[in-house]
Formats: sequence, C-alpha cells, structure tokens
Amino acid sequence: MIVQVKGKPEFIQIQWIPRYTTMERVVHWFHTATFSLLAITGMFLFFPFFQPLIQGQAGITFRLIHRVAAVIYGLVPIIYLILQPRRFLMHIKEFLPQKEDIGWLKAVPAYYLLGKHEAMPPQGRFNAGEKLNGLITIIAWLVFGFTGLLMWFGKGVIPPGLFRWLVIFHDLAMIVSVCMFLVHLYLAVAHPLMWNALVNMRFGVTAVDYAAEHHTKWFYGPKRAMELWEAKKREGAH
Amino acid sequence: MARLAMLIDTSQCVACRGCQVACKQWNDLEGWLYSRTRNRGSYENPPDLSPHTWTRIRFIEYEGPEGFRWLFLKEGCMHCGNPACVAVCPTGALKQHPKGFVTFERELCNGCGYCTQFCPFHIPRLEVVNPLTGAAKASKCTFCQDRVTNGLLPACVKTCPAKALAFGDRDEMIAKGQARVEALKARGYTQANLYGVDQVGGLGRLYVLIAPPEAYGLPAKPEYPVLASLWQKVVQPLGGVAFGATILGILGAFFLARRNIRMEEVK
Repeated sequence: MIVQVKGKPEFIQIQWIPRYTTMERVVHWFHTATFSLLAITGMFLFFPFFQPLIQGQAGITFRLIHRVAAVIYGLVPIIYLILQPRRFLMHIKEFLPQKEDIGWLKAVPAYYLLGKHEAMPPQGRFNAGEKLNGLITIIAWLVFGFTGLLMWFGKGVIPPGLFRWLVIFHDLAMIVSVCMFLVHLYLAVAHPLMWNALVNMRFGVTAVDYAAEHHTKWFYGPKRAMELWEAKKREGAH
Repeated sequence: MARLAMLIDTSQCVACRGCQVACKQWNDLEGWLYSRTRNRGSYENPPDLSPHTWTRIRFIEYEGPEGFRWLFLKEGCMHCGNPACVAVCPTGALKQHPKGFVTFERELCNGCGYCTQFCPFHIPRLEVVNPLTGAAKASKCTFCQDRVTNGLLPACVKTCPAKALAFGDRDEMIAKGQARVEALKARGYTQANLYGVDQVGGLGRLYVLIAPPEAYGLPAKPEYPVLASLWQKVVQPLGGVAFGATILGILGAFFLARRNIRMEEVK
C-alpha cells in the first residue's frame, strides 16, 4: 500500500502482514460493544447523578438491557473456547507475563509521552501493556460473571451478607476495567504513535516495519530478537 | 420537625390480627397471592411478611420465668432514624420523611432490590414480576404515608381493639413506653423492656417487650450495615475520582505526546 505523507511531496510504502485472526477480531468487537453497553447501563445505577434515568419503567428497561448485554458478554469467550479451543489456550498463554515485561513497563512512559523507543525490550505478538489489558479483561470477566450471576439468580436465596459483598466487588471490577478501557480507547484512537492500532483490529493486519520494531520476538522469533536486542544494547553502551 | 413513632405494647396485644386486615384493606394489598390460609400447626398466619403483607403478628411459644406463654410481635418496617434502604436506593423511591418515617413511591421503584438486601431487619420484600428480566417492585410498610401526612392514624393503629398500638410524637411515645415498662416491672414482669429507642439512629417503631428482644426474634443490637457505608461512602466516590483522574491523565499524556513526538521521524 502506497501512502502520501501529509503535507509532504514524498510517498511511503506500507507492507501489511496478518496479526489477528477473524475470530479474535469478532470476539474483540463483540466484547467492546457489550462491555460499553454494560458499563453505561451499570453506571446509571452506580452514580446518583443519573438517578432520573433509572426511575420506574426506564430503570426496569435499562436493567433488562444490562442483562441482555451481559448474556452476550458472557457467552462470547465461551463460544471462542468451544470453536477454537487450542487457539484460545494459546491466546491466554500469550497474555502471561514474561521477564522482559518489567523492562518494557519501565520504558513505556518515555515511549508514550516522548516517542523514545530505544530502551524497550523485545516483545511478542502482545506487548506488556496489551498483556496487562488482556489479563485484567479476563479477571474482570470472571468477577463480573460470578458476582453478576449470583446477584441475578441468588437475590433472596443467598444470605444478604454475601449479596452486599457481591455488589462491592461488582463495582470495584467495574471501576478498574472502565479505567483500563479508557486508557485502551485513548491508545487505540488518539495516540499519534499508535496510528496502525485500529487498522490491526479492523482488518487483522499490521505494518511490517511496526511489527519488526515493536513486536520483535513475534516478527523474528525469540532467539533472533534477543540477539538483535543484545547488539542494540552493546551499540548503545559505546 | 419532631419525629413520629408507633408504640407497640406486646403485653396488651391479643393477636387478633385486626392490624393485618386493616393494613391490607387500606393499602389495597392482596396477601393471598403469596400464601393461602391453611393449617400450618399454628394460629400464626401468613407464615411470613410478603410484598402484599406489610405487617403480621408473629406467634412465639416462650418458656420464661413466669412459665410457658405466647409472645406476640407485630412485625413491619422499623422506620429507622438512619435508614440503610434509603441510602442504597438508587431511584429515590425510598425517602425519609421530615417527620422521620420512611416513605415509598412505587412509581419510582425499578425493582433493583438493594433495599431488600441492605435492611438490617430484612423488612422490604421484592414483588418479582419476572425473575429473568428483573422486572419487580419493592414493597413495605409506609406508616400509611397517605393517612399520616393528612392527620390520620395509620390503619393498624386506628383499628387495634386492644389499644396495644399508639402513634404520635416520638418523645411522647418513648415516655409512654417507659412508663408502661415500669408498670409491668412492678407487676412482676422483670424482663420488660422498651426496644428501639437508640438502635440504628432510633427506630420509628418502638416495642414494649415482656421478654428479651432475642426471644421475639429481634436482633439485640441491630446495626446500620457496614457494607452500605463502604459502598456509598468509599466505593462510589472512588469510582468518580478514578474516572476523573484517568481522563485527566489521558488528556495530559495526549498533549505531551502531541508536543514531543515528531511523526516524520517515526517508522
């Protein structure tokens, strides 16, 4: 793909390689849609500011929307697991932290704020930030599912003392995951360096140069990536 | 404004259950939707409060110092001075009237049921229309808010033939209750006590009891639920602060990135 640089005469060529499977993208967007709907309808009940919106029949309707969205939100990963179990487990394994991730997290403020990429250790298909996002999403899914289903079907059956804790944990999971969602949204749509993030998730492809630079372990394989990283560090030391 | 309260003298109650009938009649309640009258081995009927039974006489077979006897307890909303249900109600359907009792506006309720789970006395009940969709309405004694605010007595007090129920200024009710406790003690009811003076901000429902509260199934030390405070006073503000801080942080980071990052040098 050939693109003209904004306001400049020259052209650059972008080569694309596959990064996400169709299933991953479908799961991502279904999750996004249902999570947004759940967060909005849930917050109506959470913040007293929204009181007029949830009174009477309107409130009953929003609570129903919350439940319909919750069913889809809950089923999406389960459908992924049933249709592609090996891929699903591999995907979760990719989210697990590795040694280099700490170095990456230390170097990331300089990258996101100042555009300095030199100090960032090599990363796989997902960098440490994306892994953190993925892991918190999974944990939140478990907490929302457990507390939500119990509050839905257990009200009046389970002891009130337990129900009260469920409300608190449901809300805490909401606070953590909505904060993370906001950061994720910002990086995806507004950060200048993440210009190809939305292309990745919409079409499943990423730019070759970007992948070679930012997802070295995935692009070159772990061995070659570590060699390149060592060489880069030696160069920097001189 | 002075608080209103109901004084229930269990030593005078004959368990005729006229209050149950008067309550249902005035408030248009249909208790049979929840329990049909049948022999359960006790005169107690219905077996529990329900969305259509706001008050009920509990029958307790009690072995006390005076020997075996029945205790009668008129159950219903306690109208706490510090009501947890009002604090957790997200719709404002439950409110505390300036005169201290807890009112309910059915039209505003969306059936979330938080009040049923945070009440220290397990009083409000949920009238569930559909457990799957969550369509429901909460329900509880309102001290006959429509009567009381128009200068009438609650239906149960008006009807009580044994004069076991009294309603009026809370301080007067406390004085009356204490006098009755003293009179009972003088007559040999050594365990007589007045329940509800200090609990949960002072209850709007005061009981003259002739046995310890536990014998009636009343909590001796009911408390405002700690988790209601944690939720309302900590978690909710925390949510607002966390969202605000995140959005401000993102804006700051965005402007820094815009100033410092030259896209021309980026691959």
